[in-house]
Amino acid sequence: MNRRQLLAGGAGAVLASAAAAETRFRDLPEAASTDSPYTQVPPRPGSGPDYNPVVTLNGWSLPWRMNGNVKEFHLVAEPVERIMADGMMARLWGYNGQSTGPTIEAVEGERVRIYVTNRLPEHTSVHWHGLILPSGMDGVGGLSHPAIPPGKTFVYEFDLIKSGTFMYHPHADEMVQMAMGMMGLFIVHPRDPAFMPVDRDFAFLLASYDIDPGTYIPRVAEMTDFNLWTWNSRIFPDIDPLVVNKGDRVRVRCGNLTMTNHPIHMHGYDFEVTCTDGGWVPKSARWPEVSIDIPVGAMRAYEFDAIHEGDWAIHCHKSHHTMNAMGHDLPTFIGTDKTRLTQMIRRQQPGYMPMGTAGMADMGEMSMELPDNTVPMMTGWGPFGPLEMGGMFSVVKVREGIAPDDYSDPGWYQNPPGTQAWEWTGELPEEVRQSSAATVITPKSHLNHDH
Amino acid sequence: MKHVIALAGLALLTACADTATVKGASDPQAGFAFVADGANRSTGAKAAWAQTAADVAANEARAKALVAGKTIGPDTAVQVALMNNRGLQAAYADLGLSATDLWETALGPRPSLELSLSGIGEASLARSLEATVTGAILDLATLKPRTRIAEMHFRQAQLEALAETLALAAETRMAWIDAVAAFEASSLIARAQGTAEAASELAAELGRTGAMNRADQAREHVFTAELAAERAEARLEAQLAKEKLTRLMGLYGASTDFYVPDRLPSLPGRRPGRSNAEALALQHRVDLAIGKLELEAIAQEYRLTSQTRRIEGAEVTAGAEVERSDDNETEVARVLQASLEIPLYDTTKLTSRRGALEYSRAAHELAQHAVNARSEARSAHAEVTGTYNIARHWRDEVLPLRREIDREALKSYNGMLTSTFELIEDARDGLEAQLSTAEARADYWRAEANLKTVIWGPPAGGDE
Repeated sequence: MNRRQLLAGGAGAVLASAAAAETRFRDLPEAASTDSPYTQVPPRPGSGPDYNPVVTLNGWSLPWRMNGNVKEFHLVAEPVERIMADGMMARLWGYNGQSTGPTIEAVEGERVRIYVTNRLPEHTSVHWHGLILPSGMDGVGGLSHPAIPPGKTFVYEFDLIKSGTFMYHPHADEMVQMAMGMMGLFIVHPRDPAFMPVDRDFAFLLASYDIDPGTYIPRVAEMTDFNLWTWNSRIFPDIDPLVVNKGDRVRVRCGNLTMTNHPIHMHGYDFEVTCTDGGWVPKSARWPEVSIDIPVGAMRAYEFDAIHEGDWAIHCHKSHHTMNAMGHDLPTFIGTDKTRLTQMIRRQQPGYMPMGTAGMADMGEMSMELPDNTVPMMTGWGPFGPLEMGGMFSVVKVREGIAPDDYSDPGWYQNPPGTQAWEWTGELPEEVRQSSAATVITPKSHLNHDH
Repeated sequence: MKHVIALAGLALLTACADTATVKGASDPQAGFAFVADGANRSTGAKAAWAQTAADVAANEARAKALVAGKTIGPDTAVQVALMNNRGLQAAYADLGLSATDLWETALGPRPSLELSLSGIGEASLARSLEATVTGAILDLATLKPRTRIAEMHFRQAQLEALAETLALAAETRMAWIDAVAAFEASSLIARAQGTAEAASELAAELGRTGAMNRADQAREHVFTAELAAERAEARLEAQLAKEKLTRLMGLYGASTDFYVPDRLPSLPGRRPGRSNAEALALQHRVDLAIGKLELEAIAQEYRLTSQTRRIEGAEVTAGAEVERSDDNETEVARVLQASLEIPLYDTTKLTSRRGALEYSRAAHELAQHAVNARSEARSAHAEVTGTYNIARHWRDEVLPLRREIDREALKSYNGMLTSTFELIEDARDGLEAQLSTAEARADYWRAEANLKTVIWGPPAGGDE
């Protein structure tokens, strides 16, 4: 019992461990587990080298123990149930009760020993994406070592020779196991706490799933046509916001384990990419961005100084990635008069509501009965109306006076008077229209007018 | 002197009539009570024999009162047919003719005295009168057997009239079912066409906005157009079915302005149990009774008096049968096993080879009829339970699933996961299932009507 490591904070955290496991894994660290889908802010480490832990959006960091000077973790690969959003639960595979798995955090120069227990029905392995380590620890089943059979525990042990942003994921039946949600972040903090310090360090992984509305398990054979675009296996409106105190230096780390690239766009700021899974980017090599394209199988971290107060959207700029499950074979109904049609269909389907005739925004406003276990394709309400978003969307909330450890939602931003778009109610000038498609050269005389 | 004797003989002959039989056979409604009673017991309707123009007019008036401007049920249809179908009245006239035959026979010989004034003094006149008288005396001598044979023919005619009545009742009931089923199908197809029209309307609208190409629009329109043809066909079928019913009910003119319901009755709550259809058929079937009478008539005709066994009625043995159906309902039902005995004769004593052969032919025919009747009864019963189970399966298994599909289709549409076209298609599939359910229900009611026919009279197309 005294070996049990408790998670401080993190309201929903559960350290579940069967009594039997304690004897069976007498020499192993506790396999901590949680079933909370909410962000759990880890405390600063109480032993070992100090670091400023990352905040895993809608996730948590894996507890560890020091065994001599080796930092020991215990990952359990197992089937899990992930609440992707209120009203939608997915049956996935993950680690320690969650998909995505808990974030592993350690410090540059440390030696880590990671026990991996396989409770899946098939063999697995763990590849430590981006880390420099011995070939035999690289986790490619069949190449680096035999895959871990169901019920067995393997040990990975290596030195962390560089700091940065990394991931872990299976490299055995990879397509299926990643489509089922097996992945996690691996953050190696710099040995020198003064190296590129930040006040807030957010991290999340991009994952896509194909779960038909009304079903619970991803279609693992899907190659391209995914319908759920997630950050840490959560979808808007239930991705936690990135809460920031005004003036903080903020880092956002993001890894992409989907089958396509994601241009992550953040409003309100210029930022610079400061880290890839290859390492830290020297100042001289950075350039300003407002979107960063995160390639498939890559990680990026960007930083900014949170000087602009407000509620700022952060999202993938592929607009269908900010939608939840939707049909892809829908005709475009814009401009279609459905008056007669509605009467006709209601004879058979009294609950029929005409939609899409003026665009699809009505979807965001109406809350109609949907199939079980799904959320509307566009949803979420802001202070001024429906947000009409889904999938990879969240909000960066920059406020004055937020305590260092406070990541709770401060509510909607109150725009100071005169700083919010308003309705013009005066006269409108006559519209100038050009009906010809031919190139029109502005006459020079016009330019010279009055000069 | 001879002449005197002959004249005296003639006087005697006229006094020899079988007065009781004459009285019965000379009744204007002779033998009809049996027909009316049989018809009433098996169909619940009252048969009427219209013999005068006034009778016909009265029946027509009653029929009109029953149907005009009304929605009629199967019992009304049968009742009207039994009083108003003129073909049936023609059959009743045959019964009347048979009665007059009996009457004539029972009256005894009616010798005629042919006197020709021009032939007085010629020998042939006396001889002719003598032959007539002799013939009359011979007739008188055989009066009893001939009356018995005539009686049998009369009974046969009664049975035939009853058979005609039952056949008409059965055909009318079936025509009513067919007509209602056709109207029900027609209205369901009309609803399906409504959904097709909705898809067509949507396609046209999408064409107008530029969201659907001409080929895809045409695909939606052609489906609607084809369904419209199907609907017209169904409507025509319903009209023709109703017309057949009208014909069987003998209606014309203003009386044809009647309606049938839009929908057949629901299935009975209880599954039709095991029945004693086979035994009932052997007891009641008119064609078998006619066959037995025919045997008797042949025996009489050839004076086949030495029968070794008498015609027995259906011999009935009672028993019970336990049946476990596929849905685990256990049914214990009384089973009546019936047999039909066919009399055998000692053929050596037959008076003629011809008589033996004719008897044998009729006996074999009757035996085969009995075999057929039993099989038909078993088939009809199997059909009733089978069609019931099928109709119930459609109603209890398929339709609820279709309703669930409709509910889920709407939810998927709500979530913009599927398009309006798919919603419409699911609704249409649901209507097709309703159509199949209605057809299965109609099959049950047909089987049910058919079972009645098989028990009481020869099935439609029977050869008696």
